[in-house]
Amino acid sequence: MRMQVSVERVKQLCRERGTTLTSLLAAAGVSRNAFYSLARRDSIYPRSLCAVCARLGISPDMALSADEGGVESMKSLLAEVEAIVGRDKRVDRDNVRHALLLLREKPIDRLRRALVRAQKPDIR
Amino acid sequence: MRKNLIFAEGEVRFLREMTRSKVDFMIVGLSAAALQGAPVVTQDVDLWFRNLSDPSITKALRKVGGAYVPPEGDHPPVFSGEAVQLFDIVTHMHGLKSFEEERRGAVKIPLGGFTVAVLPLDRIMKSKRSLGRPKDKLALKVLSDALRAARGRSARKG
Repeated sequence: MRMQVSVERVKQLCRERGTTLTSLLAAAGVSRNAFYSLARRDSIYPRSLCAVCARLGISPDMALSADEGGVESMKSLLAEVEAIVGRDKRVDRDNVRHALLLLREKPIDRLRRALVRAQKPDIR
Repeated sequence: MRKNLIFAEGEVRFLREMTRSKVDFMIVGLSAAALQGAPVVTQDVDLWFRNLSDPSITKALRKVGGAYVPPEGDHPPVFSGEAVQLFDIVTHMHGLKSFEEERRGAVKIPLGGFTVAVLPLDRIMKSKRSLGRPKDKLALKVLSDALRAARGRSARKG
């Protein structure tokens, strides 16, 4: 499967958000040259990935699951937060989310985070 | 030179040595809460011992280049040495039962090849409530939310 950037689609999305492609590129810090160069490519995937996937007989997007996994994992965590907050309205949503995130880490890493934060009080 | 790592090999080795020598101790306070997933901040790791004169403590200290400094005047006992400077010695936990009784309810937390006894979140909260200092009151909300999160998680897992 060839995955290309559709300039028309991006322009349409800009219009829907009340902006222009020029403004968008400026805000994103992307030059027109870089954007149109990307849009001219046959595929946004690297050739090496396309070659590997061609040998496997799959489309390159089928090899990209890491980020999707991250999103799904976060969605699952947020659902867990909602379930806990739903049962007890007194709890602070952020505290629960942070606690659940920490519970996914190794105990020693949780402790290290607590100690590091104490030594860098200016961290936000 | 001190390695720019917090709670690195030296600190872990000290706890491992004490565990190996069967020193009876518990991690308490906010570091114990952090180990159980509470999103808190702490400057030290509080250790509560059954018997502070246990010779195995001194042996473990020696193995990591540390030493025991007995109480002097109003100063409580402390450990000296790079690998143990993050640890504070706790001689009494406000609002709680004796070490022996609290130790029975301690949770076991894995810490890289060995486990340590840790005071449970609800007992940490009890002690904080009893102390009632402003910093304890601030921590209580986070601790209670972390406890609910942990219990909610367990309930979901069945």
